[in-house]
Amino acid sequence: MDIVLQILVNGLMLGGLYAIVSVGLTLIFGVTRVINFAHGEFLMVGMYLVYLLTTRLEVHPYLTVVGVLPCLFLLGALTQKLIIERLQNSDEHVQIFATVGLSIALINLALLVFGADIASTPSSGLRTRISLASSGVLLGQLVIFVTAIGLVAGLQLVLSRTRLGRAIRATAQNRAAARLMGINVSRIYAFTFGLGAACVGLAAVMVAPLYPTSPNIGTYFVLIAFVVVVMGGLGSITGAFVAALIVGLVDAFASYYWGSDLKEVAVFGIFLLVLILRPSGLFGTARNLSHVSP
Amino acid sequence: MSHVTIFKRLPGALAGLLVLGVLGVGSAHAEVKFGALYPFSGQLALLGEESARGLELAVDEVNEAGGVQGEKVVLVRGDAVDNNQAIGEARRLISRERVKAIFGTYSSSRVIAASQVAELSRMPYFELGAVSQQVTDRGLEYLYRTNPTAKDMARTIIDMIEQAVSPKLGVEPDDLRIGLIHEDSSYGTSVAQFERQFAEESGLDIVSEQSYPASTVDMSSIVLALKQEDVDIVLQTSYQNDTVLFLRQASEANYKPKAIIGGGGGYSMQPTAEAVGHDAIDGVLDVDFTQYNVDPEFAPGVKQFVADYKAKYGESPRSGHSLNNYAGAMAILNAIDNADGFEADTILSAVEAIDIPMGETAAGYGVKFGENNQNTRAQMMGMQWQDGELVTVFPKEAATAELQVNQ
Repeated sequence: MDIVLQILVNGLMLGGLYAIVSVGLTLIFGVTRVINFAHGEFLMVGMYLVYLLTTRLEVHPYLTVVGVLPCLFLLGALTQKLIIERLQNSDEHVQIFATVGLSIALINLALLVFGADIASTPSSGLRTRISLASSGVLLGQLVIFVTAIGLVAGLQLVLSRTRLGRAIRATAQNRAAARLMGINVSRIYAFTFGLGAACVGLAAVMVAPLYPTSPNIGTYFVLIAFVVVVMGGLGSITGAFVAALIVGLVDAFASYYWGSDLKEVAVFGIFLLVLILRPSGLFGTARNLSHVSP
Repeated sequence: MSHVTIFKRLPGALAGLLVLGVLGVGSAHAEVKFGALYPFSGQLALLGEESARGLELAVDEVNEAGGVQGEKVVLVRGDAVDNNQAIGEARRLISRERVKAIFGTYSSSRVIAASQVAELSRMPYFELGAVSQQVTDRGLEYLYRTNPTAKDMARTIIDMIEQAVSPKLGVEPDDLRIGLIHEDSSYGTSVAQFERQFAEESGLDIVSEQSYPASTVDMSSIVLALKQEDVDIVLQTSYQNDTVLFLRQASEANYKPKAIIGGGGGYSMQPTAEAVGHDAIDGVLDVDFTQYNVDPEFAPGVKQFVADYKAKYGESPRSGHSLNNYAGAMAILNAIDNADGFEADTILSAVEAIDIPMGETAAGYGVKFGENNQNTRAQMMGMQWQDGELVTVFPKEAATAELQVNQ
């Protein structure tokens, strides 16, 4: 029984990790309809920023959120303004390749600046184990889980209750109509892209003390982030969260009972099953409907 | 022609003169070109560059002593950033640069690709650092390998359990419960396969075997399974990220097996120790290329190598790759020096004749080529992290410290 509980806890924590990394991706897709293949590299950039700030200024990793969030917001907004917006009217494959290009460029930039070696952010006590019933989790994992819930709830609140959120949703539903209503679509896109990137920045702050940073760390997370986002329904924030928990739990149970070499069979098997039964994902609705309406 | 255009053309003209000058000097002293084919950029650049430094130091040393056959050795770099470019650069070295032999390459997949081209051109190719069995198993005629392989790694790991770890623990080897975990690319899989083979031959008891993708972000279930199986000795074959992840998650889950033995890569590097924390990595064993904390009687020249390295590059060696490339390159270059001429077949017969016993190179192991042109005397060493340092503990002749175990 103890072992099942421990696997359950491990799975939930892993789900929280996947969720916090995926939320930004689904937000960007839901509004701008751009599949951002550089998402993992945004995470990597964020993690290096956390590493630099903590080691140079000797502050607690969580404090770096003050610097990392604005930087990532800017990175996202500039990506939209300087790269995506210029390709807005071209084929969507072109946009995809542009983000793939950005991803390769960022990885190699990191290789150039930091080298291929790992950089480890000081854990500042976040890797202490705390007991939960008869199982244990790391303090940092628990913080990730709680933050992921907070982030999802917060984003939903902003999107459904604020004027800005309504403008974002309107733009997501119909770009032309939103423009007719006097919404500055170009600015909303840049803001949303920035917001999505800032979410990844938050993830980076949480993840960096627990995982060593390297130029290709983004590629480790991005595949599972895509699975989570597609499974939850492209653009659905709650969907991404639920899907992340499912993937985390399946991952943990399958790798214990079936062996870690077979866990991906289980994860991707469930992924396929969801897509066969609900092609638009768990919380996905037909195209062009608002993805955030209740 | 106005004055302006003359000045514009001046740099070009000067460069032209300079080239002529260099060529003039070059032809005055005889020199022989060898290719240095390594990944100098991209994902593998760190250890690719580190490996190449070993070769460069060997060439410097040989040149200072008068070169090979009285000719100055010039290294021409080729950047094997990926498999395709490894092939392209091998072609360039052979047909444009007209090198007499190629040295390389650190990465197994790069040498497997590039050596095909060299073989077709009858170009001697000396591999100094790639570990995959497949590199020499293809039976190429012009490819020689000086360094130990994945199989040698597994051999040393199993020998170390039998001859050093189990006597220290006071437990019979076949009473130990052994768990294998490895990343699932060809590297981890092939080492694990040899570990299983040698363990079975020695009657060791493997109770658990698990593979995982190297890009995994969670190994807690693997740790749980090992704990549940009551595994005494964990053997991991891994890269750097998964090494850090496993060692961290094992210590966080309070899992303390009697011994953890890592294979190469991540286990030997100082940044790994820093990422994991000295408390967690202390006592962890590691089998890899010869490192620097080795008995200098067994590896003569290792101290001088470190001194030369620091003088040339202004920092300490970052891994044992440079040392092993250096030792292999010295053996080959000395053999070529004893030959007469740089024809491929002359070089090969000189290399065939190499017979260096154990304990006479800077890496410790001897050199004598056998089946498939693999160095039959190449051997990996057993190391242990003790007080934040990686010291050699196995075999006894090479050891600088006593192997320690948790009782």
